[in-house]
Amino acid sequence: MSGAEAVIRVDSVSQAFGAEGDPRRVVALESASLDIARGELLCLIGPSGCGKSTLLNIIGGLASPTTGQVTIDGHVVRGPSPQKVAFVFQENTLFPWRTVIDNVKLGMAFQGVAKSERQERALQSLRAVGLADFCDHYPGQLSGGMKQRVQLARALGLKTEILLMDEPFAALDEQTRMVLGEDLSVLLAQTGKTIVFVTHSLAEAVFLADRVAVLTARPGRLKKLIHVEEGHPRKSNFMTSSKLNGLRNELYELLHEEIRKTMIERGEVREGA
Amino acid sequence: MNGRRGPIMSPGMARLVVIIALLVIWEVGARLYADPLFLCPPSQAVVALPRIFSDPKIIHAIWVTIYEVFVAFVLSVSFGMTIGLIVGLQGFTKKAILPVILLLYSIPQATVLPLFILSFGIGPAAKIAFGLSHGIFPVIVTTVGGVQNLRPSLLTAARSMGANRWQIFTSIVFPHMIPSFFTGMRLGMTLVLLGVLLAELYVSTAGIGFYTRLFAESFAPPDLFALIAVLAAIAVTLNEICRMGERRFSRWHNG
Amino acid sequence: MKKPSRLAAHLVQLGILVAVLGAWYWATLPGGINHLLLPPPIPVFEGFWVLFTADSIWPDLLVTVREWVTAVLLASVSGCTLGYLISRSGYAVRVFDPLLAGLYSIPAILLFPLYLLFFGLGPGSKIAIGTTIAFFPIVLNTIAGLAYVDKAYITAARSMGASDFQLFWSVMLPAAFPVVLTGLRIGCIVAFLSILGGETISSLAGLGHRIVSLAENMETSRMFSNILFAVLIAIVINVIVTFAEARGRRGMQ
Repeated sequence: MSGAEAVIRVDSVSQAFGAEGDPRRVVALESASLDIARGELLCLIGPSGCGKSTLLNIIGGLASPTTGQVTIDGHVVRGPSPQKVAFVFQENTLFPWRTVIDNVKLGMAFQGVAKSERQERALQSLRAVGLADFCDHYPGQLSGGMKQRVQLARALGLKTEILLMDEPFAALDEQTRMVLGEDLSVLLAQTGKTIVFVTHSLAEAVFLADRVAVLTARPGRLKKLIHVEEGHPRKSNFMTSSKLNGLRNELYELLHEEIRKTMIERGEVREGA
Repeated sequence: MNGRRGPIMSPGMARLVVIIALLVIWEVGARLYADPLFLCPPSQAVVALPRIFSDPKIIHAIWVTIYEVFVAFVLSVSFGMTIGLIVGLQGFTKKAILPVILLLYSIPQATVLPLFILSFGIGPAAKIAFGLSHGIFPVIVTTVGGVQNLRPSLLTAARSMGANRWQIFTSIVFPHMIPSFFTGMRLGMTLVLLGVLLAELYVSTAGIGFYTRLFAESFAPPDLFALIAVLAAIAVTLNEICRMGERRFSRWHNG
Repeated sequence: MKKPSRLAAHLVQLGILVAVLGAWYWATLPGGINHLLLPPPIPVFEGFWVLFTADSIWPDLLVTVREWVTAVLLASVSGCTLGYLISRSGYAVRVFDPLLAGLYSIPAILLFPLYLLFFGLGPGSKIAIGTTIAFFPIVLNTIAGLAYVDKAYITAARSMGASDFQLFWSVMLPAAFPVVLTGLRIGCIVAFLSILGGETISSLAGLGHRIVSLAENMETSRMFSNILFAVLIAIVINVIVTFAEARGRRGMQ
């Protein structure tokens, strides 16, 4: 990393559901601390239930931590910050009763963009994701991959510095995932946004990220940070390179133990199996 | 997210409070503003209850109504299920006959009520027939629906194991259809009640329709309220019984 | 394979219609069923056409339609308003939704004698029963539509900075619209059915009243013609309302 300053600081964030002493209490995150540099793409990866989505929501102000805090550009996060942070969700949150371009424009309306600017910005964002020809279609007419691209366009239209993406490609088939991943890398190189990306896929994490943050099983803690020294935009041959494979294997080792722990806790697998 | 204060009282308690509040408003409002010929406070209706129950003719009328509902219900369910099975099991009959049944289901039966009276007279037979004509339709429709969702793979599996038609019917088709059937029963009960009460209110010599008309025409709101409250309670109880039956028999059928 | 069986199904339906009409005709031939019980078909159909002219049905139709429109308007305004107010609070939904659903299970026709007592024999009692019965599906559907909007939409909108008003106007209303529309359709239909029922039981004018007075005068042939007309009106209302709902849904998509 080129010595860029941290734009997001996660400071000993813990998240617990349920009161102290309650047997059903769940501690999703425990003292997670992380600095995310300006212009980097950081992937959060970990076993199910390790709190990665929770952490993302806390960074974006959709949830507040039980202890600890998150600061963005030095300001403590206390609620949604639509001027600084835009989300891309895994599930489809496009409003089915509006066209593609209206969906993108509606996001801007929520953020507070002037009406006169919305059309041009919306077209720009849709062009950036390659869907300018579909602006008058309805979400129901689009494929899964296209819907996710529209969600990305909507987020881009908000012109925020930070993009938080929660397993955005999880519901798509592998081939679409690869293409969208490459496109995302290109976008990153062009715009210099800071992206925090939650994923389950090891290969995707290494392919996209500048750094990969590995979280432990619940309660989620930062286990290790892995650096991926490779410039953006990432070429498609990076996917099959030995460098990526090596890093992927390293991730696998780190995660394997944590995943087993999670499954034992859930009773899906017997201990010692 | 954490540490949010819970509501002051549980929803059940709040509901009770709302009901009591409404009764109080009714009580106070009726006492202050209402003409006693047309409206009465709930307290007077409550006082009228023992008066209602002590009159053997009214008790008899209530039993007659319950009898009418019961018979109409049993007939609706048996005929409805039979017709539903006949229509639903064969793809062709379903396509041909179901639209006819749905058309009949959608006509406003109140218009043919006078016809029922002309045909069956003014006694319980007309009420039972009218209740039957209301209640039979949801039973048919839900039975047909229950039969048609059957996955063909289940039938293939059974046939591959050598089951004959009767075995397939009793061990696969019938159990599969039961939850929908119970839903149909619940809807059927609601509609049978509607049909019987509608017929009673139209013309009645010894049923509750007679007494509602009597109380209305003699401007006795307490008695009218009391009688209606009793009938409403009976209707709700019958509906609840059917609903409980539906829940119990639908347990394995989680969608 | 598909088309022939569909045609065959329609042929069967046509056959049923022909058979019913044929049986009707045959049963009422001289020496058959008493004409006071079952009038012959041809005079019934002739009488049907006369309804539009000499036997003018328009005044009574107007009465019934006026009652229906009034009831639907009253039920819609009160149902949607109350439904909206309740949906604003999860607690209110938990308190009132079961209460309203429970009230819905009481056969509301029981209230009709009370309305007769209070409003008299005129249109008032019919409007009252129509409004009462139509109110419930409307309010219950409004609550269901507004209170159960997919959380994902709300989260997304909030993350983009939507204000309370924007959230309601641009997200919750459109999301709830189809469900509310269904409630309104059901409300329209049950209002009409209950108003006809009320007119049958006791009234001074209207379609139901006509049928009843013809029955009382043993004019079964004219009564059949009027029943045919009322059924037709019911079908027309059904079609209009279902079409309106489908149009409304499509307009949103």
